[in-house]
Amino acid sequence: MGRLSVTILLILSALQGSNVNVYERNCVACHRHVSPSLEKLFFDYLLKYSSERRVKRALADYLKHPTKKRSVASEEVIQKYGLMPKTWLRDTDLHKAIDTYWETYKVFGKIK
Amino acid sequence: MSVSNATATSISHSEKRTLWRFLGLYAFLTLLILILGSTIYYNLQKDLMLQTKRLQLEEYSKELIDGLKLLHIYFDRYRTYPRNPLYRSAIYDADKVRIFSTLKHPEGVQLDKVIYITDHVIHYIHVLDSYYLGAKYVVVEIDDDRTWMMQTWRNILLYGGATLVLFLLSGVMLVRLFLAPMRHAIHLLDRFIKDTTHELNTPVNAILSNIEMIDHSRIDPKEAKKIRRIEIAARTVSHIYQDLTYLILHHQIASQDVKVDLSALLKERIEYFRILADSKKIGIETDTQPGVTLVVDPGKMARLVDNLLSNAIKYNRRGGEVFVRLRPGELLVQDTGIGMDEKQIGEVFKRYKRFDTSVGGFGIGLNIVAMIAQEYGFKIDIHSKIAKGSEVIVRWDV
Repeated sequence: MGRLSVTILLILSALQGSNVNVYERNCVACHRHVSPSLEKLFFDYLLKYSSERRVKRALADYLKHPTKKRSVASEEVIQKYGLMPKTWLRDTDLHKAIDTYWETYKVFGKIK
Repeated sequence: MSVSNATATSISHSEKRTLWRFLGLYAFLTLLILILGSTIYYNLQKDLMLQTKRLQLEEYSKELIDGLKLLHIYFDRYRTYPRNPLYRSAIYDADKVRIFSTLKHPEGVQLDKVIYITDHVIHYIHVLDSYYLGAKYVVVEIDDDRTWMMQTWRNILLYGGATLVLFLLSGVMLVRLFLAPMRHAIHLLDRFIKDTTHELNTPVNAILSNIEMIDHSRIDPKEAKKIRRIEIAARTVSHIYQDLTYLILHHQIASQDVKVDLSALLKERIEYFRILADSKKIGIETDTQPGVTLVVDPGKMARLVDNLLSNAIKYNRRGGEVFVRLRPGELLVQDTGIGMDEKQIGEVFKRYKRFDTSVGGFGIGLNIVAMIAQEYGFKIDIHSKIAKGSEVIVRWDV
């Protein structure tokens, strides 16, 4: 039993370092069940902030201090689903998650 | 010192020079104005063409933005960029990073401009309010067929050329207008000199022929001395008359070249000047080879010899010497006079140049020598030393 706990702990700590997991565990995990979808939100950010630098800065800003003003979601969506809780992630993890999010949905190289 | 340096300054020559200088300056200023005008016209035509194309490009950009909007909404299903054979396009994000492009010339796109021409293509830039697919800038590109440029250049060359010709013609007219009073004054002076010269001839000839008729043995030596002085004065006037006549008429009289016995001519002219030399106690030594001939106008050759001898006597000191030597292809006249420095030798052939105003003359003698030498291709060398004397050597091909 003790050996199994150590193994799980080792796996978890290995996964902890991966960007994908920070994103998967902290963003995808929730948005998979809760609307709006991450893809929809990404294109809303793109529509408003355009470039990678500006999108990432706006995202970080919102996640750290979620307010109605900073949100890209419409009034109705906010009323229906409410604002996200303030992130508890450290800055490095937050940026890792945002980087993964950008890489997942970015349009660069995908347009034919 | 060669004859080619001696410029025979005539009125028409200096007038031509003034005309060319003025026309040069005038043409330069006209060209400057034309270039300035053409540049403004060219830029206006370019702007006009771009304004016309802009309407069309705006339509294309609207169509493209509609396509981008659809692609933005349905990006999970469709990922094909909206294309149109009529134009090429590109999209850039807010940090001016290219998202996608079908442009022929994607390098050096100027996103801070609205419309411009580069490398035979026209670029139109539209800034979006909603950044579909993150695109803030939409660039639409079409080919520039350059017909406007051909048309503009044709107009510039046609109208610019016509204006230049018109300006130059008016320039010529202006110069002629400015020069008219000067020409008139010169013409009057010319006529006055001609008339005066003509009026001099008869009395001088009358004096000289009458003196020749006087029998010196029948008059007392005192009177003979006075008559001799009268003869010297008359010959001086006659010499000036001959020079002035040559200057005024030499353009109108064609040379009548014949085989001239130079030795005989020289002897005759020396005898003619001997009386003048005697009056200044100047001795004339000669070393002339007999039978030296040359095909030349005798009147002009006499003027050349006369002026060399006249100068050698005029600028000599009292009691000095004149040495004349004649060989086939060479005539030397040497004096023991005041001499000249290098600078003076350089200016010796200029008309109205006199180094000693105390002696008579107009400073036209050596100018006439230079003109005659130039006509027959003679070469003139002058060697001189201040206070020692000068020697003039005229050379010709045998």
